[in-house]
Amino acid sequence: MSKRPLLCVRDLHKSYGKRDAKFEALRGIDLDIFEGESVAIIGKSGSGKSTLMHLLALLDKPTSGSIKLSGKDTSKLHNRKLNELRNKEFGFVFQSFFMNSNDTVLNNVILPLKISGVGFRERRRRAMEALKIVELDDKAKNKANDLSGGQKQRVCIARAIINNPKVIFADEPTGNLDSATGERIEKLLFGLNEKKGITLIIVTHDQDLADKCQRQIHIADGQIFKESYREDFDGDGDNDGMRDNNNIHHIDIEEE
Amino acid sequence: MKILDIIKDANANLLRNKLRSFLTILAIFIGSFSIISTSAIQAGVNDFIDSQVDSYGGDGYLAIVSKDSFDALEGLQGSMGDGNKTPIEYNPDKIQTGMSPITDEQMEKLKKIEGIDADSIVEQKTLDITYITSKETDKKYLVAAEALPPGNVKVDVVTGKQLDLRADEYQIQLEQKYVSALGYTNEDIIDKEVQLVVVDEYTRAEKTFDAKVVGVIAPGVVSMGQQYTNNKLADDIYEENTKYYPDEIKTQTFAVAANFDYEKYSVDDIKDKLEEIGLSGMTIEDIIGTIKTFFDVILTVFKIFGLIALIAAAIGIINTLFMSVQERTREIGLDKALGMSSSKVFLSFSLEAIALGFWGSVFGITVSMILGNLVNTAFHAEGGFLEAFPTFNLATYTIPDIISVTVLIMVIAFLSGTLPARRAAHKNPIDALRYE
Repeated sequence: MSKRPLLCVRDLHKSYGKRDAKFEALRGIDLDIFEGESVAIIGKSGSGKSTLMHLLALLDKPTSGSIKLSGKDTSKLHNRKLNELRNKEFGFVFQSFFMNSNDTVLNNVILPLKISGVGFRERRRRAMEALKIVELDDKAKNKANDLSGGQKQRVCIARAIINNPKVIFADEPTGNLDSATGERIEKLLFGLNEKKGITLIIVTHDQDLADKCQRQIHIADGQIFKESYREDFDGDGDNDGMRDNNNIHHIDIEEE
Repeated sequence: MKILDIIKDANANLLRNKLRSFLTILAIFIGSFSIISTSAIQAGVNDFIDSQVDSYGGDGYLAIVSKDSFDALEGLQGSMGDGNKTPIEYNPDKIQTGMSPITDEQMEKLKKIEGIDADSIVEQKTLDITYITSKETDKKYLVAAEALPPGNVKVDVVTGKQLDLRADEYQIQLEQKYVSALGYTNEDIIDKEVQLVVVDEYTRAEKTFDAKVVGVIAPGVVSMGQQYTNNKLADDIYEENTKYYPDEIKTQTFAVAANFDYEKYSVDDIKDKLEEIGLSGMTIEDIIGTIKTFFDVILTVFKIFGLIALIAAAIGIINTLFMSVQERTREIGLDKALGMSSSKVFLSFSLEAIALGFWGSVFGITVSMILGNLVNTAFHAEGGFLEAFPTFNLATYTIPDIISVTVLIMVIAFLSGTLPARRAAHKNPIDALRYE
């Protein structure tokens, strides 16, 4: 694991609405995510974990604070550059898949390459490679709708890796799946993390899934209240500044 | 994203909700159908009028009378409607009411006007023929004939050929109705002789002119009722008609036809120059202008109806696309999350609107062309409404018309698409992904 933080987050705030209706989703997040890590952002619904992921994935802009990607301040980037970064550096896996169910598996997988303007042959070749990795290359011509839930999620993973991303953001990737299928998806994701060194950021409320990540960041009320490491993993990341957090008690009470 | 991919997707998206797309295209179809159909009819009518203009001497043709005659004619016509014009004074030098001849001096000046082809100037004579008959029939028919005007005249003929104006024999082109009446068919009358008879009003003596039929005139609006003769026949009949006239009147000229160089000189220029020497010129456009205006007004009304239909169709496009933006909210969210720019999202919906417009206009034009050809054929068939006008196609489709209608509709479709396309482009990817 490299010591260089891939994503460096400082004093991140995000609020919605104005004046009386103002709602603070994130209230000062400091976080470093290193290349090749697998990180779980865990919290209950409404804790701000999804908002954090959206900000990390550059899908939304923070109210204040900074996010540096590979050392570059993303707030200074133009929309065009942000679009390009999401297209080239990130992969997305969502709980409810987000596929064009009437289209073929192949066409769903090539979407990121189509957006970036890769030629027909090249994107087809790379889509077949990605589908081979998720073991669905024989279903390329099938309609996405005819697949099972697990297969759909594997197609989404293929779509997420087709552009050889640095980071995969997975939002409750197993949320809609039974445990056996969920396990297969988990294996696939962690396999990509280990073998290809793709940084994995999983947003979940499922403790079992979070436990499989090297690092878990617990979020409640828009703040990080706890960070922990997988037992077999010795967390030597430079995270000391974020270890102690006053909100622990507050959250513990809420969880009861 | 490549433009070709966006175009393909736009068309694919239309097929996702076939019924809705079909209904929207149907609305555009109605608009495009009515616009292209009226354009085609307009083109058909104009073509017809143009061919009539050609048969009358083409764009360079001028009918010239003295200004006094022209005013007198206008005065006579005007005095029928309102009493504002003053009555015309008696003038012993004039042999027809209100008509005054073109003087020799004016004729000389006319020949010198720049732009007018002096060689083309020909006197227009009214021929008084008592009847026409042939060896194939005992019947005698009334007939009106005149010398063919000079210049690049091309009479629309069904069979036969053009007159040889300078030929030393008598030549005539007849309307179709005389052909069967005189006991011939269109084909076998060519090169046969018919008899034009002038009866002396005082002596009842008959003088017969044997004229060779060189062509059968296609029916038309402008030439209606006129047979055309070559110069020699016209001159000799005129000579017979005017044999009792005093010499000074016999040699008077009341109207001439001339050609002018319409490519180099404007009609107004020439008319002004004629005015200066006391003459008045009329082009074919002036003569048949009213017919054209009449058609133009009717067709413009139909075109406006077509445009109203298109505006209704445009609202249909807006509605359809708003629904499709709504339905595809999550898809738009995903596209944007995966790095598609707002402008590409805008473009993809705009292209969908343009595709709707394109297909609507293509179907409208195709159906209109099929119907137009059927109508043309039906009208020209025996008993059809245009049977008498074989050269008149009611609907004529020109490439510029087809292209301009298609482009117009695509532009309207694009403009209607901008509203929904903007909404799609401004969607926030996160909200869009959360949308249920």
